[in-house]
Amino acid sequence: MPAVTEAASLSGASPLSGASPLSGASPLSGASPLSGAASASDALLEVDNVSVSFHVEHGRVLRAVDTVSFQVAKGEVLGLVGESGCGKTTVAKCIVGQITPNAGAVRLEGRELGPKRTAEDRRAIQMMFQDPYSSLNPRMSVRQVLSELLGVHRIVPRAGIEDRCRELMALVGLPPDALGGLPSQFSGGQRQRIAIARALAVEPRVIIADEPVSALDVSVQATILRLFEDLGSRLGLTIVFISHNLAVVRHLSRRVVVMYLGRIVEEGGRESVFDDPRHPYTRALLEAAPRLHQTELVRPVVRGEPPSPIDIPAGCSFHPRCPRAEEVCSQVRPLLESVGTGDEHLAACHFRGEASPRFSNGAPPTYRDEAPFGALEGP
Amino acid sequence: MTPLLEVEDLVVEMRRHGAAFRAVDGVSFSLERGGALAIVGESGCGKSITLRAIMDLLPSGGRLVSGRVVVDGVELEADNRGRGRGHHQRERMSIIFQDALSALNPVATVGNQIAEAPRHVLALGRNASRERAIELLRLVGIPDPERRYHAYPHELSGGTRQRVMIAIALSSEPAILLCDEPTTALDVTIQTQILALLCELREARGLSLVFVTHDLSVVSQVAEQLAVMYTGRLVETGPTEIVLGAPRHPYTAGLLGAALDVDTPEREPIAIPGSIPDPLRLPSGCTFHPRCRFATPDCVTTDVRLEPVGPDQEAACLHSDALAAALADAGRD
Repeated sequence: MPAVTEAASLSGASPLSGASPLSGASPLSGASPLSGAASASDALLEVDNVSVSFHVEHGRVLRAVDTVSFQVAKGEVLGLVGESGCGKTTVAKCIVGQITPNAGAVRLEGRELGPKRTAEDRRAIQMMFQDPYSSLNPRMSVRQVLSELLGVHRIVPRAGIEDRCRELMALVGLPPDALGGLPSQFSGGQRQRIAIARALAVEPRVIIADEPVSALDVSVQATILRLFEDLGSRLGLTIVFISHNLAVVRHLSRRVVVMYLGRIVEEGGRESVFDDPRHPYTRALLEAAPRLHQTELVRPVVRGEPPSPIDIPAGCSFHPRCPRAEEVCSQVRPLLESVGTGDEHLAACHFRGEASPRFSNGAPPTYRDEAPFGALEGP
Repeated sequence: MTPLLEVEDLVVEMRRHGAAFRAVDGVSFSLERGGALAIVGESGCGKSITLRAIMDLLPSGGRLVSGRVVVDGVELEADNRGRGRGHHQRERMSIIFQDALSALNPVATVGNQIAEAPRHVLALGRNASRERAIELLRLVGIPDPERRYHAYPHELSGGTRQRVMIAIALSSEPAILLCDEPTTALDVTIQTQILALLCELREARGLSLVFVTHDLSVVSQVAEQLAVMYTGRLVETGPTEIVLGAPRHPYTAGLLGAALDVDTPEREPIAIPGSIPDPLRLPSGCTFHPRCRFATPDCVTTDVRLEPVGPDQEAACLHSDALAAALADAGRD
């Protein structure tokens, strides 16, 4: 990669201040010699047929991720949903280069990111985690964390580091004097803001957020979600948002990918996937999501628990738990294909052509009138 | 009729960095026979400590300062609540925890762990205890219980471990089951299974539940009574539907406004301003006042207590009427 990149990020006004979009000044945009050539679509990030398997004891193989493909357009927020062990974090690790997939490729603007990544490539994709406390060095102050990054990646000249640190704090809604604090001196929500500042410090193109609000209390969760939305629209960031919480994903993402046992079972726009789920697993997740005013008990619609990824069932891997399963499901593995509604809505189910029936209790759950809490703003 | 469980003015002191603070401050509630109460609050509000104080399982550094726990009309003695096997009132309660893996004994088979109470508390013979354990495994929905009897906790999945813990809790034939975030660590599809199991057990065995959780959205399903806790105190209590539908404490309203609902993704969640105060430096008066938009100077100086605000509903707020009016206004718009 050419050395022009620094010049780009140094030039003129700081890309982080105010409304000026980060992407405009981002060192990678336009600099890539391959941009536009390799990829026909406008996908910024492309996960292409990625498979990851691990060797476990007794010579057996654990298939964590099985031929997963999806694309994320520039400025898009993609939600990656699934329960524990479905492979969503492994996919994330492949994207940032922590794990080298056994097969398949990860591309940024059509350019393949191999196992050995340059500093530029590593910078371009940043990851943040569920527990900011264990992912921040307890002995480094916020200033040390940020200035080390800014210095190592030469984001700003040495003299500008302090100013940039302050800008980053402002960007994530923390006071400048927070720079002197150690991670232990902050609350969970504040630590997550620091983690976001750290990810943003290197001016990434893509942020992979792995369950970033799952460890937070409800009352602060909303502020971090709002921050993500803000950053998405102000900086034009591309975000892959990983969560098991459907309510969070539905709120934040435009497009959704649902994973089960290492495979994508459904993919599509938020409205298509949530309003008209075509895979019984998506439907089951949606029905199992707890709801505030649901007084009736949700009858469990899915039998048993996910099988071990060492021993994935033949055919459709969901069939042993599926209320809709027929004989074909245990024999033929359904491919991820269009459900036929015209939009880009894919499902890996033999019955994807039919609107999947509600499972629980026959009738839709009863709701009381939605109380108007949305109107209650703070002081 | 006397309630099955009465907790009166429970005060628990904990220590941090050598300084003492009240983790639970004057909590009182009662539970009817066969009833279910949910205690909701965010991390550090004292909800789990309340349960542990009732079971006399306070972590080291915790001290029960005052308060009465009455089970079926008989008060549990603070000093020997946990001592000895003979205290029959305490044995009418069992507790299950969030993290089944650390709550279970890793080097004993689950069968032996379940059979322990029948053998030692109910004084059944070896074979009868074993039979009872297998029966309990079947009751909590574990397939092939004879084989699972010999399994160790690490060999089981998270949902199955939680079922084992429920089986252990039931093995002493309790009347009250205290549940400390029993589904928080589980996936949603497993969560519905465990919630359904708890509700079935409640119906089939007349079990009473105290269900502690941080997740407001599960309480409607499991409990008809709700208590909301903040900084060690109960700030609102009442029938679940009424409290969630028409909260009278601004903190409850704030939690509801901050919660995301899977069915209404367009609604912006609104965070409660500020953050949970440091328990060593609690604000004076109503501890919620620095975060409350209804706060007046009175709130800083008045020690607010739970007061009736409607049929069966109580709130510890000087401005619960103003809140009700504001909610009604917002609803009209």
